Amino acid sequence: MNFTETEEQTLLRQEVRNIAKPFGREYYLAKARAGEPLDELWNAVGSAGYLGVNIPESHGGGGLGISELAMVSEELAAAGCPLLLLLVSPAICGTILARFGTPTQQDTWLPGLATGETKLVFAITEPDAGSNSHRISTVARRDGDDWLLRGTKYYISGADEADAILVVAATPGDDGRPGLSLFLVDADAAGLTRTPIPMELVAAERQYTLFFDDVRVPAERLVGKPGHGLQQVFVGLNPERILGAAMGNGIARYALSAGARYAGERAVFGAPIGTHQGIAHPLAQAKIEVELARLMTSKAAWLFDQGLDAAEAANMAKYAAAEAALAAVDAAIQTHGGNGMSEEYGIAALWGVARTLRIAPVSREMILNFIAQHSLKLPKSY
Amino acid sequence: MKILVPIKRVADPDNANKVKVSGDGTQVTSEGLEWKMNPFDEWSLEAALRLTEDGAKKTRTGEVVLVTIGPKDAAQTVRTGLSMGAERGILVEANDQELDSNMVAQILKAIVDKEKPDLVVMGKQTVDGDSNVAGTVLAELLGWPLANYAMSLATDDDGKTLTVKRELDTGVSTIKVTGPAVITTSDRILKPESVKNGVTPADFKYPEAEGGRYASLKGIMAAKKKPIDEVTAASLGATPQKTLSYLKFELPAARSGQTTFVESVEELVQKLKSDAKVL
Repeated sequence: MNFTETEEQTLLRQEVRNIAKPFGREYYLAKARAGEPLDELWNAVGSAGYLGVNIPESHGGGGLGISELAMVSEELAAAGCPLLLLLVSPAICGTILARFGTPTQQDTWLPGLATGETKLVFAITEPDAGSNSHRISTVARRDGDDWLLRGTKYYISGADEADAILVVAATPGDDGRPGLSLFLVDADAAGLTRTPIPMELVAAERQYTLFFDDVRVPAERLVGKPGHGLQQVFVGLNPERILGAAMGNGIARYALSAGARYAGERAVFGAPIGTHQGIAHPLAQAKIEVELARLMTSKAAWLFDQGLDAAEAANMAKYAAAEAALAAVDAAIQTHGGNGMSEEYGIAALWGVARTLRIAPVSREMILNFIAQHSLKLPKSY
Repeated sequence: MKILVPIKRVADPDNANKVKVSGDGTQVTSEGLEWKMNPFDEWSLEAALRLTEDGAKKTRTGEVVLVTIGPKDAAQTVRTGLSMGAERGILVEANDQELDSNMVAQILKAIVDKEKPDLVVMGKQTVDGDSNVAGTVLAELLGWPLANYAMSLATDDDGKTLTVKRELDTGVSTIKVTGPAVITTSDRILKPESVKNGVTPADFKYPEAEGGRYASLKGIMAAKKKPIDEVTAASLGATPQKTLSYLKFELPAARSGQTTFVESVEELVQKLKSDAKVL
């Protein structure tokens, strides 16, 4: 067993850090507060090849794995710039297209995902089907060679920035039984409307409700086998969880580094406040928790890249990273005192994203259900 | 054109662990430090890469050889430079504590004798030692012309002659240099139009940047296959002699961290006189 990263991985982290550094937390906060996308940072990271590290080399990507994409996610978040769309565009959509797309679909979409010039987002969640994807009510029905999509999706991240949306819809399977299928729908398709969901969240990526009113989708936009969408989606969901975990770990690192710096500099009663255990111990405890979460994230990414079952580890990593990020942000806020809640320091603004990671991309409760059922062999609870 | 670029790793100021001085004050200790390329060297590497490429087509037209003098794990810094685009690297194994600028120049001379580059482009100083000596001594040992503090470089005959603008306290000095030569650079070498090589279109502008180019993922993967030769001063036939001995190191006094707010310029001047006693 070897816990040392390769020289390439060390360089990859270093260069992503270098690219993100001139942007930093100030850039992220200004963009997020103005409700603007992080185009400059996205393009800088993308043009150097780091958004497409997991896309096959044959399509212009790095040919590496989810391990390396997770490092990109962690380093960007650790620089104060968590890029939520990394979870969606290269991680879910890139993985699914590389695995199940037709050669034409791969030629059309993967090169853009590799450079970041193309953004794809993912639409599965519905008002009446959150964690229960078996209840998806968005329907795709045949109309000649085309498909017509009808239904509603919500909490779709970055739908305003996307070139196309990978939509999960109910279809009759090839055996005639109902199933789920995946469709790539142009973001500006006729009959598709997007409504932003106002969020109490300082994040650059916005959330949308999507209404599909008989949106016509050509047959060649069906991804994979009709009726087998759920199995295909599950292939993309572990990378999403791993990327979410990595982002949480990066947020925790940012918060702890800011907290430790402040505790070392801020002096009250003649000594830096970091000399007091009341301040030092919560930071130290959060440091332990984030390092544990990073270990499980690395393991989950490694399992996925080896083609092994990563579901348990990816769930555990996402759980641990969300908890560690929240503990770290809370300790950093407390360390900063009043400054912890100020706009200037931007620490409290981390809380919303960290807190969201306890809910998405999979909720803490669904993870506990999974672990109870699959790891502990307890009866299914839902 | 073949350019030798000497690079050194220095303590990364962004890392929480800082440089410390040993208890007896005889040496600077490096435990727990993280490293990065000396910024001055990074700028020189950027200049050397611009001299040896078509910037518009992003194709290489010459060769950049990196050399570092230090412990084995300094290879990581060389690998960073290879990821940025340099062709190959040389690691001269040595203990940082046992070097001075003269020894560095003598070792570099032995490398130059072996590699026979058209130019040596190097940082004017390192941000740790801040000596600003090695480049000048190297030029003297080689009997080559020296163009230091270069803020712009222009050549159209593959480096045989160069027009160099040198950034001085008194203004800009423009000189013509016939290679082979030693060049040291200032940060203005990073300006979008500071390097002209006769290959990159004259109207091409590099992006505004505060440092050298970022290594792309493709650059990192390509660097994996590029060679780093490990040698020693002895294997190069060099017997560098130390001429400088350090008597004592001490860290600067910690800042008080006290801030005094003033209401007016008059009050500021008064306090600078009476409290800070700097006027």
